[in-house]
Amino acid sequence: MMLKYKLLWGGLFYKKLRLVLSIIGIIIGVSSLLLMNAFGEAAKIRTLKEIETFGPEVLMVVAGNVRVSAGRAIQTEVTTTLKPEDAEALRKIGGIRFISPYFTGDAIVRFAGNTVSTVLNGVNEEYLRLRKFSLEEGRNFLKDEILSYKKVVILGNKVKAQLFGKENPVGQTILINKLPFKVIGVLSPIGIDASNADQDDQVLIPYTIAISAIYNVDYIRGIFISVEDPSNLPFIEKQIDSILSKRHKVTEKNKDFTIVKAEDILQAKTQTTNLFSSLVKSISVLCLVVGALGVTAIMTLAVNERKKEIGIRKAIGAKERDILLQFLIESVIVTLLGGIMGVVLGVGLTLILLPVFNYPLIFPVIPILTSTGLTIIFGIFAGVYPSYKASKVDPIVLLRSF
Amino acid sequence: MGDKIVILEDIQKIYQIGKVSYQVLKGIDLEVEQGEFLVIMGTSGSGKTTLLNIIGLLDKPTSGRYFLEGEEVSKFDSKKLAYIRNRKLGFIFQAFHLVPWATALENVLLPLLYRPEGFSKDDEKRAISLLERLGLGERIHAKPKELSGGQQQRVAIARALITNPKLLLADEPTGNLDSASSKEVMNIFKELNAEGLTIIMVTHDPEIAKNGKRIKVIADGIFVDEKQV
Repeated sequence: MMLKYKLLWGGLFYKKLRLVLSIIGIIIGVSSLLLMNAFGEAAKIRTLKEIETFGPEVLMVVAGNVRVSAGRAIQTEVTTTLKPEDAEALRKIGGIRFISPYFTGDAIVRFAGNTVSTVLNGVNEEYLRLRKFSLEEGRNFLKDEILSYKKVVILGNKVKAQLFGKENPVGQTILINKLPFKVIGVLSPIGIDASNADQDDQVLIPYTIAISAIYNVDYIRGIFISVEDPSNLPFIEKQIDSILSKRHKVTEKNKDFTIVKAEDILQAKTQTTNLFSSLVKSISVLCLVVGALGVTAIMTLAVNERKKEIGIRKAIGAKERDILLQFLIESVIVTLLGGIMGVVLGVGLTLILLPVFNYPLIFPVIPILTSTGLTIIFGIFAGVYPSYKASKVDPIVLLRSF
Repeated sequence: MGDKIVILEDIQKIYQIGKVSYQVLKGIDLEVEQGEFLVIMGTSGSGKTTLLNIIGLLDKPTSGRYFLEGEEVSKFDSKKLAYIRNRKLGFIFQAFHLVPWATALENVLLPLLYRPEGFSKDDEKRAISLLERLGLGERIHAKPKELSGGQQQRVAIARALITNPKLLLADEPTGNLDSASSKEVMNIFKELNAEGLTIIMVTHDPEIAKNGKRIKVIADGIFVDEKQV
């Protein structure tokens, strides 16, 4: 039986260089298609992970104007009118679960000769539960520590590693902008959140001490709010808006605060990723088309070169259909060979490159299936023209007497 | 029609090249009996190759009727013609036309590829014994380029015989061979003919033509002379 297949497609491996060339085109097309699809999948998973820390039940009041661009909430104008009392005033809204005032700034943190420049966030004792952050070591702030301006700090995972290495920092005293703070806890690793901030590169302290002792101001940058039921969000958003507008004596036109929802950030983010991935997908499909055209060109060449072989096959009884099928399957074999190598290469590259670019590691099952399917389709397309030409070869080319 | 294997009635062939038309065959009548060894002799451009194309069902006449074993094959479609070529005809070409990437044995088996029943171990044995009979027992796994011209032509003969054809058609079979190999091939033809195989051979070479039992001379599209050897 093997002999039968050898007689049909043995010619494929006769001109090896030509075979290799046409396969390379397909390899490039398939592996890039697979790689791009895998990155798209991984990006989706990453976004989903990010949303977990900035969930659909969370919203944020930001002082000043905020524009959401490319997935980031960018503060375009800072105002000093948002006060801690505003946060307290919002507590009377029904359906709110947690509220935390929020102040953020840069800070220099020091311990035993190690110095780290990081982000300092002033929050209250509800912040950890609000953001669903968990502690690796130590404990959360106490309500009393917030109210009494205690100098206590919770370290982000990266900051802890930089200052203390593997040692347990709980109970140690560090310097934040030269003021001594007692370490009470360490955050579990979180990663980058929806606002693109690395949540492991931060230190958390009571907002009271942050605005009074470190930055010496009387305002806050924002208020984090989480609600009991995300479906109530639009209603609660309206109430926040009216309470703050009344307190600040502002109207829609000169409003000095902005309410940002996870949804807004997500929307902008998916828009950009969608645009990016459709661009990338069309480029890689184009690669595959070019690869397939290469197969067409090379198969056409092969048909011209193998006219005698085709003529012989016809003279000894091959029907047009036999020849058509032979060459169609030849080009599918060529593209499939390239396709398989492309998939192997693409999977390899995916597994290497995903971690390099900080994407979650996935095994690209769906991309493998789609790129294999597309390869077979393109293989058939690539073969149609040359196979048709082959089936029309006139066996008269064989007979020449001079 | 009885034992007449080929009957041609007023076969004409006109080629149209651009606005000019060439009448290559101008009314050929021919009857070939079972077991004959007919040689069609003619110079270049006499129409002998076109005639062989038509007899071999590789080309269709412009007009006229062609009966092969009593069937009017000039009316068949291309699918049916492919079937007849596979079952009843064997071809030998001047340039051998072996498939370059296949071994001698594989080349011999090639025609069986186009039979729905495929080929069996028995067919393989038959192919090997054909090659052995033609003196190629040692070379069954050689590629064409590893064989001499005479050896290649003998592989081609084995390929033509594997299907047990009714009619063997040869187009200048010795045209690319030296005189020793030519003689060998002609001896094989005579042997096969003696066993009852009908052969039609086209050549321009009078010496080679003498191997046939009957010689018809074609010139300018019609038969001009006939002699028995």
